Amino acid sequence: VFDRDEDVLERVIAHLRLPVEMDPTLDAAVMERVSAAGPTSRLAAAWEWFRRPREISVSPLGGLALAAVLAGVALWLVGRHPSAGSPSDTSNTIQFVVVAPGAGSVSLVGDFNNWDGTVTPMHATRSGTLWSVTVPLSPGRYRYAFLVNGSRWLADPAAPRAPDDFDAPSSVVTVGG
Amino acid sequence: VTSDAEVVRRVRGGDTAAFAVLVARYRDRLGRYAMHMLGDRGDAEEALQDAFVRAYRSIARCRDDAEFGPWLFGILVNRCRTAGRRAARRQRMFVRDEVSLERASAPETADQAEWDDTVHWAMARIAPPLREAFLLKHVEDLEYDEMSRLTGAGVSALKMRVKRAREQLRALLTEVERV
Repeated sequence: VFDRDEDVLERVIAHLRLPVEMDPTLDAAVMERVSAAGPTSRLAAAWEWFRRPREISVSPLGGLALAAVLAGVALWLVGRHPSAGSPSDTSNTIQFVVVAPGAGSVSLVGDFNNWDGTVTPMHATRSGTLWSVTVPLSPGRYRYAFLVNGSRWLADPAAPRAPDDFDAPSSVVTVGG
Repeated sequence: VTSDAEVVRRVRGGDTAAFAVLVARYRDRLGRYAMHMLGDRGDAEEALQDAFVRAYRSIARCRDDAEFGPWLFGILVNRCRTAGRRAARRQRMFVRDEVSLERASAPETADQAEWDDTVHWAMARIAPPLREAFLLKHVEDLEYDEMSRLTGAGVSALKMRVKRAREQLRALLTEVERV
């Protein structure tokens, strides 16, 4: 018999706080599955390598050639520019659009840029209401979200929500081959 | 002891084996939450495994390496929700944790075993959102704003859930004591 009702709860809490020992073989099972998922870490390593700052020396002639190539790529992308959509898909060049009036900055984050908010900044229309960016994507299924003012994560209201385990909402886009 | 942030950086750099350090570090603490939330060792171990594997696959999305622990805990909370819904569909009853009893170093008295059964029975009787809030607040010692970040629920809703969980547990256990 308990003296006071509170004692019951205190006893329950004390009991639930006791250490629980899980099966140590669980570690091996997890590591086996983790090793099988190796490409993810290789992707992360590749990304780390890619984003590492480095100096590149280009001769004046090489610089001109590089500029010509970049201009060609830009023209090719502009030529494939799709109509507004959210997102719309024309031959693997995807335009992402979101309405975020009053935002100071909006960037696109997703599986395709390692969820890095600095990689794909979006550009506002003159009124500052509509933000968009166009990115080339290989065929596949990608999760993505919009990062508003560098801290607020926003799922795309016009796209299916990603089944997710994280506190940050995200959406799904499927790019056809 | 190597910090979480350092280990996370090594894993991100391609050192898959380093992830074992994080698994060993968080296994029992997270396992306790999963056990109490799901009431079944098999379900808890499955949810825990899934949480670790998902964390590994998504480690690039952990926005602050030093906050790996809370981030991982958030993944587990969600895995437990999913597993709980699955278990509810199976109409699985809460059972006493026989494995844990076998492993206990000191022999357990009949009274202790009965109390263990009673606590698990009572925890199983309260609705999962109440159980979740109660465990996060009173067993994991989280602040309400931390709970809100983990669960997506508002602070006032969480306070209400904890209050209702306390009331229901108290009623259930007092009733048991009177029998």
